Amino acid sequence: MPADWDIWAVSDWVTKPGEWRNEVMEEGPEELSTGSRKRERKKRRQARETGFKCSALLCSEPRPRCCRWYHIVAMVVYAVLILNKAGGLIFQRDFNPGLQKLTSNDYLILAGTFHGVHAITSQISPTNETGASGLEVLESENFVMRCFQTLTGTKFLVFAEPRQPNLDVVVRRVYELYSDYVMKNPFYQIEMPIRSEGFERHLSAYIKPHQ
Amino acid sequence: MAGSTTSYYFVIIGTKDNPLYEAEFGTFKQGGDGVPKFREEQRHMNQFIAHSSLDCIEDLQWASKEMYLKTVDKFNNTWVSCFLTGGNIKFLLLHDARSDEPIRQFFTDVYDLYCKTLMNPFYEVNMAIRSQTFDQKIKAAAKKYL
Amino acid sequence: MNRDTSPFRPASTGASPTPKHASLTASTNLRYSLTRKSIYDRHLNRTKTSELSKSAFAFLFGEMVQHAQKKVYGVQDLEKKLNQHGYAVGQRFLELLLWREGRTAKRETRILGILQFISHSLYRAIFQKPADTLEKVRENEDEYMISDNDPLVNSYISVPKEMSQLNCAAFIAGIIEAVLDGHCFPAKVTAHTAPSDMWPGRTVFLIKFEPEVLEREGLRHGST
Repeated sequence: MPADWDIWAVSDWVTKPGEWRNEVMEEGPEELSTGSRKRERKKRRQARETGFKCSALLCSEPRPRCCRWYHIVAMVVYAVLILNKAGGLIFQRDFNPGLQKLTSNDYLILAGTFHGVHAITSQISPTNETGASGLEVLESENFVMRCFQTLTGTKFLVFAEPRQPNLDVVVRRVYELYSDYVMKNPFYQIEMPIRSEGFERHLSAYIKPHQ
Repeated sequence: MAGSTTSYYFVIIGTKDNPLYEAEFGTFKQGGDGVPKFREEQRHMNQFIAHSSLDCIEDLQWASKEMYLKTVDKFNNTWVSCFLTGGNIKFLLLHDARSDEPIRQFFTDVYDLYCKTLMNPFYEVNMAIRSQTFDQKIKAAAKKYL
Repeated sequence: MNRDTSPFRPASTGASPTPKHASLTASTNLRYSLTRKSIYDRHLNRTKTSELSKSAFAFLFGEMVQHAQKKVYGVQDLEKKLNQHGYAVGQRFLELLLWREGRTAKRETRILGILQFISHSLYRAIFQKPADTLEKVRENEDEYMISDNDPLVNSYISVPKEMSQLNCAAFIAGIIEAVLDGHCFPAKVTAHTAPSDMWPGRTVFLIKFEPEVLEREGLRHGST
C-alpha cells in the first residue's frame, strides 16, 4: 500500500506505511519461555535492521546503530493521545512541557476534530487511489504529530519535538503496549476511557528514559 | 476360586472412599481364558476385603513416599495390592498370588489411563468412570501383564 | 449421573433427523475426532519444544475473569470463583505432573516436602521458574507464605481502584490448594497483593493449614 498523502508525510523518513503496519500485526505474542523470547527478539532486531530506513536527515551512522541507540535516546515526546473508533478521546497523557495545557473538554473537541479531518483526508485523495490511509504526519514549527490508525479504527497520536526521527517506532511501541496492557486487561471495557495502571506504568517507563 | 487359574478384582477408590470403577478379570497366563472364576459369595467378599484394606492404606501412606505400596493387606487367600496417586486416588487389586512387578506395570498403565480420563473437561475428580474405552483399555492392560 | 440424558451425547440412530440433513449427521460423529481417536488413544506427554502463546493465555484468562465476574456479589465472591477454577486445574495438573515424573514420582508426606514441591516442581512445570520465596509465618504455627514477584496470570491485568482488594492470582491459589488437598494437606490458600519497589505486582500466597494437618504431622514425625 503506497503512501497516499505524501504531501503530509515527510517522505524520506517514512518507509512504506503498509510495511510497518504489517510488522506490528506480526509482532504479537511474547512467548512463555526465555528461549523463544530470545528468538523473537532476534527476529524483531533483524526486521528493524533490514526493514527500516534511517530516518534522521543528517545521519551517517550505519543503520541499526543510529536508529536504535542515538536518535531514540535524544527523543522528546510531548504527549500521547488515543482515540477510539468513534473519535472519542480515551487516553491523554503529557510527558514533557512544550504543548499548551488544554481543559479536558478542549481535548475532547480536539480529538473529535482530528477524527473528522482524518476521515476527510482518507475519503478525498488527490492521488485517486483506493484504500487511502488518511492523515499520518502533521508537522509545524513547534511540534510534529504522528498518527497511526489500527485496522479496527483506533487512532494513536504522538506529539513530539519537530524534526523528531523514528516517531513511527514510538507509535508502534505505544500500540504494542496498548494491545498488551489495555486489550488483555479483563477489567477494560472496549471503547471506554483507559484507566489501566499497567499501561501507564509501562508507557512512562518507555517514554521517560529517552530524554 | 477354581483350581490353577487365578482371578483378579480391580477397583478404583476416590478420595471419599467411594468406588469409581470396578472390574473383574481372570488371568491369561498359564492357559487362562481371562474370565473371572469368582464364586458368587466371593464376589461380595471382594468388596468387603477392598473396603477393609482402606484402613491399612491410610496408615501405610504416611510411612512411604512411593506411589506403589505393594501388598498392603491379606485376607485368607486374597492379597490386596495398592497404588496411591498424588491426588489420593487408590487403585486396589485383589489377587491370590504375590507378584509385585507385573502388578506395578499394570498399575502404571492404569495410572496413565486415569490421567487421560482426568484430562476430560467433563470429568471431575470422584466421578464414576463409565467410559467403555476406559474399560476396554483396562482389560487390555490386564491381559498384557496379569 | 444418568449419562443418557446428557446434552453432549450425540443423537444416535434413535431419533432420525430431517431427510435434508440426514447425510450430514450420518457422516459426523461427535464422539470421536476425524482420526477416530478418543482421549485414551493420545499420548499424555507433549514434546519438550512445544510452547504456549502468552497472549493466547492472557486472552483466555481475561475472558475467564470476565465470565466469573458475571455471577458474583463483590470481590471476595469473585476471588472464590477464581479459586474454584484454579482448583479444578490443580487437581488435574497434579496427577499429570506426577505421571510425567514416571517411576521417580513421590508422594510428599511432610508439610515442608509438599511446600517445596509446590514452590519448585509445580511452579517450574507451570511457569518455567520456581516461586521466589517460601517462608513460614512467625506468629502462626499453621501458616506459610509462597511469594511470586510477578505472577504470570497478572502480567497484563490492572485491577481498577474500586476493586483494589482483588488479586486475580486467586487462580494460582486455587491450584496450590488443589495440590495440597490432593496430598491430604487440607488448607486454605489466599492470594494477597504485597507490592515492593522493584515489583509492583508482587503477590503472596498465604497458606493456612487445617488443624488436623499439624496434629498428624506431630503424631507421625514427632514435634514439628
